[in-house]
Amino acid sequence: MLRLITLRIALGVLTLWLVSVLVFVGTQVLPGDTATAILGPSATPDRLAALRKLLHLDDSVVAQYWHWLSSLVQGDLGTSASAGVPLSEILSSRVQNSGVLMLASGLIAVPVGLGLGVWAAIRRDRLADHLTSGSSLVLAALPEFVIGMALVLLFATTVFQWLPAVSLLGPGQAIWSKPQAAVLPVAALALAVIPYITRIMRGSMIEVLQSDYVQTARLKGLPERTVILRHSVPNALVPAIQVTALQLAWLAGGVVVIEYLFSFPGVGGLLVDSVTGREITIVQDVSLLIAAVYVTLNVLADVLCILITPKVRTGIS
Amino acid sequence: MTDRSMSAAGYGMTRRTALRATLATGATFAAGGLLTACSDEPQEAAPKGTPASGTKPKQGGTLRAGISGGGASDTLDAHHSSGAAEESRLPQLYEPLALYDHDATLMMVLAESMEPARDARSWDIRLREGVEFHNGKTLGADDLIYTFQRILNPDDPKDGVGFFGYVDATRLQKLDARTVRVHLKVKSATLTDDVAQYFNGIVPVGYDPRKPVGTGPFKFKSFTPGEESTFVKNENYWRTGQPYLDELSIINMNDDAARVNALLSGEIDAIMGLPARQVPTVENNPELRVQIAEKTGVHQPLTMRMDKAPFDDVRVRQAFRLMVDREQMVQQAYGGQASVGNDMPGLPDPMYASSLPQREQDIEQAKSLLKAAGHEGLTIEMVTAPMYRGVLESGQVFVEQAKAAGVNIKTKQLDTTGFFDGYGGWTFSQTFYGGRSVLGQIGFQYMPDSIWNETGWKNDRFTKLIAETRATLDDAKRKEILFEAQKILHEEGTLVIHSFVHAVDGYKAQWTGFNPSWTGGPLGDFRFREVGLSA
Amino acid sequence: MSFAGTADDVALAPIEAVHARRQWLETLRSAARLRRTRLGLLMVGGLVVLAVVGPLLAPHSPSAFVGPGLTSPSKVALLGTDSLGRDVLSRFLHGGRTVISLALLATILGVGVGAAVGMFAAYARGLVDGILMRTSDVLLAFPQIVLVLLLVTGAGTHLWLIVVTVALGHAPRTARVIRAAAMEIVERDFIKAAEVMGESRWRIVFGGIMPMVTSPLLVEFGLRMVYSIALVTAVSFLGFGLQPPTADWGLMINENRLGIIQQPWSVVMPVLAIGLLTVGTNLITDGVARAAIGLDRRRSA
Repeated sequence: MLRLITLRIALGVLTLWLVSVLVFVGTQVLPGDTATAILGPSATPDRLAALRKLLHLDDSVVAQYWHWLSSLVQGDLGTSASAGVPLSEILSSRVQNSGVLMLASGLIAVPVGLGLGVWAAIRRDRLADHLTSGSSLVLAALPEFVIGMALVLLFATTVFQWLPAVSLLGPGQAIWSKPQAAVLPVAALALAVIPYITRIMRGSMIEVLQSDYVQTARLKGLPERTVILRHSVPNALVPAIQVTALQLAWLAGGVVVIEYLFSFPGVGGLLVDSVTGREITIVQDVSLLIAAVYVTLNVLADVLCILITPKVRTGIS
Repeated sequence: MTDRSMSAAGYGMTRRTALRATLATGATFAAGGLLTACSDEPQEAAPKGTPASGTKPKQGGTLRAGISGGGASDTLDAHHSSGAAEESRLPQLYEPLALYDHDATLMMVLAESMEPARDARSWDIRLREGVEFHNGKTLGADDLIYTFQRILNPDDPKDGVGFFGYVDATRLQKLDARTVRVHLKVKSATLTDDVAQYFNGIVPVGYDPRKPVGTGPFKFKSFTPGEESTFVKNENYWRTGQPYLDELSIINMNDDAARVNALLSGEIDAIMGLPARQVPTVENNPELRVQIAEKTGVHQPLTMRMDKAPFDDVRVRQAFRLMVDREQMVQQAYGGQASVGNDMPGLPDPMYASSLPQREQDIEQAKSLLKAAGHEGLTIEMVTAPMYRGVLESGQVFVEQAKAAGVNIKTKQLDTTGFFDGYGGWTFSQTFYGGRSVLGQIGFQYMPDSIWNETGWKNDRFTKLIAETRATLDDAKRKEILFEAQKILHEEGTLVIHSFVHAVDGYKAQWTGFNPSWTGGPLGDFRFREVGLSA
Repeated sequence: MSFAGTADDVALAPIEAVHARRQWLETLRSAARLRRTRLGLLMVGGLVVLAVVGPLLAPHSPSAFVGPGLTSPSKVALLGTDSLGRDVLSRFLHGGRTVISLALLATILGVGVGAAVGMFAAYARGLVDGILMRTSDVLLAFPQIVLVLLLVTGAGTHLWLIVVTVALGHAPRTARVIRAAAMEIVERDFIKAAEVMGESRWRIVFGGIMPMVTSPLLVEFGLRMVYSIALVTAVSFLGFGLQPPTADWGLMINENRLGIIQQPWSVVMPVLAIGLLTVGTNLITDGVARAAIGLDRRRSA
């Protein structure tokens, strides 16, 4: 089993390395001199040369890639193309903010999603179940920005004006010092994730409730509460865990559109801004960061799956 | 040729970087001023709107101001500006020798006097007495010499070089503790105007931008590029009584929606670049005030390359100018927050040729000009980018209006980087300029060697007239010659200048001291030392 | 790609083949009996009709100025005007075509490529399978929206690029699902028999395997369509998709969200339409999935 887990992690690292190549090549497709583009028509040869040197534009693509990756591994995120400001300055608070956003969404979505799933399973084919299934079907289909925009219309602008439509945070200002700024983005992300967790949990729970094992427990005369909480839920959780981890991974991408929508100062919004301004180094760093989070959570999902389900140990693809 | 406008030089050198962050959402900042020193007479106060209250502010309070235009390239370097973000920050920390006041008069700041020698080959600059830097050091001649050498450093020239690069940095002569004699490479009678820029602040010997020290009304507290900078009151500020604020926080919010919402929800106290459509919302809120600078030189022209077909034919250029319904342009693209343009730059400048007839839409005339030029039913590509709020909007309005004349315009939208990468190569495109004087804008854009001459505008008679203008000392005569030159632009020019965009700010009613400035500079020209809570 | 009709086909596995050919039809038929599928069809059908004939019904040109910006509903503009003073209703009626056609193209391309790769990987096994799956791992390492943004940075904003990158995100996901479904098929005797008969790989994959995986393929197509709509509109919403002055639902939201307080309609309408479109597609997909499971159970019973 340890070998299997090591293999899965090694594969994850390999994937990330390939991702870094793709990120680098993908952003270098367009021809054109970045230095000229940054300085504009007023560029003097001296300034151009200095900027090219700063950005290592005279090196070969392979050398540029190596420079980028090796400094990244050493924790140097590079400098902003236009100003020479270390990107770590710009990124650190945004990474924190996005982290909090993801974490809060996850902390809300996981218990709510699992709980709803259990509830729907217990009330199978009754109104509660139909309502839950129906609304998960709807929510699962809605793009996250549509959910977000609907929340804005409902709670920030048109119907009620209870919550801010944009999340303003000063630099260094922790998101928890201003929780109302995070309510709508967190709600939008959680709503996008909950239906998937609910669905898998409901399905898994129904299966467990029908199992001989649970029937036996019931026949033994154990109270229904105990049957559900002690005997059914833990077993039903097994298949739900992987899906849950995958949904948390999805959040790494979900923050992009949601942060843009709410002007939330995180990495997702930064990515959109940087694509607009073609700040290539930031796009590379942020894409790789998001991919890293995504891959890590995926690996984690697989590892958990390996640990929990004995039969998977026989082989992984 | 020195551009003597008092506008943000950022528009030149690093215009693109200033925009980079503002893109998708755009941002409006009226970039500084309009007039050169050509005119000393104060103009009537142009800005209109809710007048700033005349009451003197009381001491104390923290102002949180929302600006746009910042980004990862923001800097606190006293001598470098990439646009509105620096324009808002640098004046808090640093002060130059002289500046333009709200009424367009030149005022001495750190200089007590600046006197040219009779041959105009050297100037004597006497510094104000008893001014202290934030680190406690007293301002002296050495600091001025150090500052000039830093700006004029040939290996790393700063923005000011474009303005007073004629100063000989190797011959800065200390006469006494606070007097310096400056020798010039060429004659100049305009050194005072040329140093009157917010990015020419005097810094102490050994200045390190990482520890930003100046003589300004506020001291540095914290700074995160593209996000927020905070400042605290300089207790030893030489203007007694100012600043009123204890603390100042300048927050970068490039997203219009974010900025407006922040003001509406009370998160911040004042914002620049209030979008026109939001004016009623803010005006209807009793706790908020709107301030509009109506006479600015900010414009977003369409550019027609003079050496490329079809615009090599002057009739096509004339037809394009006749296709615009300027009133509709102002209403649809700018929500009414703009003034109609007449295809010449520099609206608020007294030198502006305002007596030339206003061009109106004339579809029939446009059609017949196109027909005569053999371009009936023309189809053409317009290259554009989300470089500034209003640009894409005005482009869309123009495309729609051109249909009436049978002209089919295909929009090709690039990202700003791609757009400026190929700048000057586009046959038909859009651009934007901050406010400058007529002559300042001409030097910047309309001369054969101007770096921003993106249309390849060249007209020998025009060039000759401009040279003549510059050589003429008599004001009335200058105006006459410049009028002739502007007439050529009006008749044959390569730009469609359909509107001049207003500068609109919003702030909480409890604040006072956002004194309207003729420059159109946002938030009282960013002069936060004058701002405070109403008494 | 027709599978029946030649002598060789008979040699393949006639019973399974005939059964397989009917599979997708049967699935769809039984899905159509479900209420949720009908509801979904109604929603999607309505919006498709709206997108197709909408431009004919529009009272104004989508780019014409009918009044000042952000005005409330009036006789001239039934849903008011947008930020530039254009008719919201007309723009809404014009705005569906791009969304639906781009999403459909991306789905066809992505699911097509993904299914082919999945089946080939399952059939080829070994090294080819390994290479294809590792490649898909790299593409799977990005949230789809990040992949799109990355390539937009590299190659600029082009509609074809949006279609290709959305498809590129779909392909490995579809490939995984189809590969898993095909794994079991390739072990069956009729495939072995075809190999012995010397059938070409292409014929085995598309003629032998594909008809057996049509159910998961249909479900996959529906699911990917939901995500395609979401992605295409999200990209326009972020400003990297359709460009002004195009009337497009995603772009409309972006253009007018600032004026949402004065004039919510220009945001509400496209938000509603995109929501109904994705929900409707998801309902159909869910119906198909249920039908497929139901048929499976019946068959194995």
